Amino acid sequence: MLLEGSNVTGCFCSPVCKSKGKKPCCILKLIGNVEPEMKLPKYQLKAGQGLSSYEFISEGPKGLIVKRVQFTAINQEQVYNLAFGDKGLDNDEINDLAISNNGDSEKVLATVIAAVYAFCDKHPDIWIFATGSTNARTRLYRMGITKYLEEIRADFELYGEFNEEWEYFEAGKNYTSFLAKRKET
Amino acid sequence: MKTIADLNNSKVPIVIIDKKLDVLDNIVLFPKKVHLAEQKMAKIGLPKKNRIAK
Repeated sequence: MLLEGSNVTGCFCSPVCKSKGKKPCCILKLIGNVEPEMKLPKYQLKAGQGLSSYEFISEGPKGLIVKRVQFTAINQEQVYNLAFGDKGLDNDEINDLAISNNGDSEKVLATVIAAVYAFCDKHPDIWIFATGSTNARTRLYRMGITKYLEEIRADFELYGEFNEEWEYFEAGKNYTSFLAKRKET
Repeated sequence: MKTIADLNNSKVPIVIIDKKLDVLDNIVLFPKKVHLAEQKMAKIGLPKKNRIAK
């Protein structure tokens, strides 16, 4: 099998393939983006100087929607809550129950994860707690995490809450909240 | 000093600092969520220290 369109060349069917890489037996053309999946498109993040509150603008069929992400220290040392939602049109109020349907949920999630990287870059020793505003939204986050679990695990210690205990995050379990910490580099 | 290539390859995003957003650092935008996080963490605590993440 020869991969074209990437920096990988050669036959990968060995040892089944008798060509032993000299003459590729089959060709697989990679179409589209061959970058690692975590390099998803993201929105440009803006933040205050404290790098604890972020803002970005979602663009889609419903128009421009200002979204805010905030990391807030809770009453337990070294733990911050991660939350995000839509900014109101005429005021500064945030709605974390809004269903934008702007057709960009993956890009929004990738942008929130980018904010996590930015915040943890400044505060490498903290834990980040997150949960959805509703069960459906928690499920959505769980699916998003599961999709990129390998990549997330490379950089973060990741736990899920199950029966009021933290356990290593595993795909397919109905966790109700999440806890993450940047791995030491 | 980081090069443009370093920045492009970094998982840490480029963030525009906007001083107008400084005011948000002093406001809790999601008080209900913070309260919920405090309740949960008080009940469960942090993961056990002897666990080593995979």
